[in-house]
Amino acid sequence: MKRRSWLVLLAFVLSTVAATFAATASSKPAARSAGQIEVLSLWGGAEKDAFLKVTAAFTNKTGIKVQYTTARDFVPAIRTRLAAGNPPEVAIIPRPGVLSDLAKQGAVKNLGSMGLTPSYVKARYGPAWISLGTVDGKLYGVAAKANSKTTVWYRPDQFKKYKLKTPTTWAQLIALTKTLKSKGQNPWAAGAKDSWTLTDWFENVYLRTAGPTKYQQLFTGKLKFTDPSVGNAIRQMLQILNNKYLVGGVQGALGTAFTDGIGRVFGKKPSAQLYMEGGFVGGIAIGDTNTALKPGKTINWFPFPTINKKWGNPLLGAGDLAAAFTDNADVRSFLKYISSGEAGKVWVSTGAIISPNKQVTGSAYPNLLVRKEAAQVKTAKVFRFDGSDQLPGTLADDWGAALQNAMQKPGSISSILSTFQTKAAKEF
Amino acid sequence: MQVPQPKRRFGRSGEGRLRERIEGVMFAAPAIIVLALFVVYPAYYTIRLAFYQSDYLFAFTGWVGLDNFKDLLTNSPDFLDLSHFPPEGALINNVKWIILYISLCLVLGLGLAVLTIRVRYERLVKSIIFVPMAISATAVGVIWLLVYSPDPNIGTLNAVIHGLGGNPVSWLGKPTTVNYAIIAAYVWASTGFAMVVLSAALKGISTEILEAARVDGAGEWNIFRRIMLPMLSLPISIVSVWLFINVIKVFDIIYVMTSGGPGTSSRVIAYTMFTETFNGHAGRGAAVAVIMLLLMLPVMVLNVKRFRSERVVS
Repeated sequence: MKRRSWLVLLAFVLSTVAATFAATASSKPAARSAGQIEVLSLWGGAEKDAFLKVTAAFTNKTGIKVQYTTARDFVPAIRTRLAAGNPPEVAIIPRPGVLSDLAKQGAVKNLGSMGLTPSYVKARYGPAWISLGTVDGKLYGVAAKANSKTTVWYRPDQFKKYKLKTPTTWAQLIALTKTLKSKGQNPWAAGAKDSWTLTDWFENVYLRTAGPTKYQQLFTGKLKFTDPSVGNAIRQMLQILNNKYLVGGVQGALGTAFTDGIGRVFGKKPSAQLYMEGGFVGGIAIGDTNTALKPGKTINWFPFPTINKKWGNPLLGAGDLAAAFTDNADVRSFLKYISSGEAGKVWVSTGAIISPNKQVTGSAYPNLLVRKEAAQVKTAKVFRFDGSDQLPGTLADDWGAALQNAMQKPGSISSILSTFQTKAAKEF
Repeated sequence: MQVPQPKRRFGRSGEGRLRERIEGVMFAAPAIIVLALFVVYPAYYTIRLAFYQSDYLFAFTGWVGLDNFKDLLTNSPDFLDLSHFPPEGALINNVKWIILYISLCLVLGLGLAVLTIRVRYERLVKSIIFVPMAISATAVGVIWLLVYSPDPNIGTLNAVIHGLGGNPVSWLGKPTTVNYAIIAAYVWASTGFAMVVLSAALKGISTEILEAARVDGAGEWNIFRRIMLPMLSLPISIVSVWLFINVIKVFDIIYVMTSGGPGTSSRVIAYTMFTETFNGHAGRGAAVAVIMLLLMLPVMVLNVKRFRSERVVS
């Protein structure tokens, strides 16, 4: 081969080698320019649009640009980026259990030393919300948005048609269910394919049958899942989630996703009457499912009824906590903004969320659905955070799967629970 | 008179061979480097990680030896449950996939290949059947979610059943049908590949042999069984290997369609790898990956052997 070709080949090979090494050896994160931060969370669709309004207001105010990244699987997304040394600046995480894991690993920053001092935080949040983001006495997450999960959604025009009243006790709810069934209607829809909807059912029922203290013990590993109260709560919820009252039966519900369940009740061709899920159903139903819905007339909600009078009506709620992986001026500015009443007002005006921020008043809410929800959260005497979101590791998904199994095989509830308890014991 | 010497290109023979060798290595070097960095090193890392408990940062912490494998194969009913008959678990679901997916793709692919050859609009039919190959598995999952939805207003299949007067079936909500429903969706997406490869191989069969057989009075079915099939055995085994590897790795379509549910009835081993790896048990996830590699190895070795023997013959 001619000498020149040799040299060309040599140069090519060496440059390939050099390029490969350069690309893989750099462990520094791709530096985003100052004046820009990346926020990662799981929202898409109408929820994402609502958040983008907030970030636009932030950019208007401070000039700092926000790049929003959607990651429905935020846990693997955050984990891989952390392992690669390239985490987003801020992540808004709906699971305090995950935040706690990250804090214990030292992956997220102590917000107290980033300007969110105890006095600052106390002026904006009640003690329940502050303690959710606190791990080992230090604050790692500040509540950005919240929602109630003690809401049962229905169509008021249908209730008028069948002359029904919204129930306040479990007995009334069952009676209502039976009446609807006798009039040839499918009383309930459930999005059981997304197993977390079943965990919300369980948590509402468990709070009202076993009480808030046992609830917190259960989801923090201090009470075994084989405790009789757990099986009893599951049996209680199966009084509704069964072949008689669910549209499509148990199998139908297990094949229906969360948003399709909303569609069953509020879509253009509804086939069911009642749907139990959180306050965010309203925003999704009106924003994505059926834009012709009118709050109060064709869509409304009533609080989950009481079961055991002793436990009254505790509020099951959830929320998203903003955490920071980097500490710099832009991030501090964003955190201050997201925890301000101003940001809260912008966000709630979209009707997608309610704000846990004390500085957001009821008048900021655009429709009666969210105004009612905000009032419910504010006046709640007892508040508990979504239990499955507090579970560590793989348990949250396994718990949902266990409830799906229980729904299919009500006779095997005890064995399903003992199998789950074996897994839980390893994780806690 | 001098005998003309053949002109040597590089001086003495020893030096020439060495230069040739170096040239060869240098031509192959970029590919070798890419392979080493992106295949060999990650494979070594994963295999080594399988012997540790590891954590969220995929570090080599907590040596456990073979415990991850033991725990997966004997103590994880979601992965493998041999306690009753029929056995259940993610690994068993993969077996269902192996049997049904591979055989359906081959039978349909081969059948379509043989039939379309005879038709004038062959190209059109083949293009239509091949299109699903261009769609990502996630998109296939979303499409078939809409087909299988239990609400007759949304689900195509149930709309047809409802229209014919039947009751809607929740294909993805029943543990007895969910695996077969997902397999059907994936077969839909993969048959095009089998068909195209086998069709090309079919066209490579010399028409003289087929003509001779027909002249001798052999029926079409006999021609297919006794002449076409044996001559297609190599392409069939290549396609089978590709399908087999696909099945061992299958994840995204199940994740999109059912998240492994209802319960854990549609889980496969790649799903187990996903949940374990990203929830802090990176060692267990790596152990599942090693099991996947071990399952694939014998098939790949057999395939390479076949390749070699075929080359010798031809």
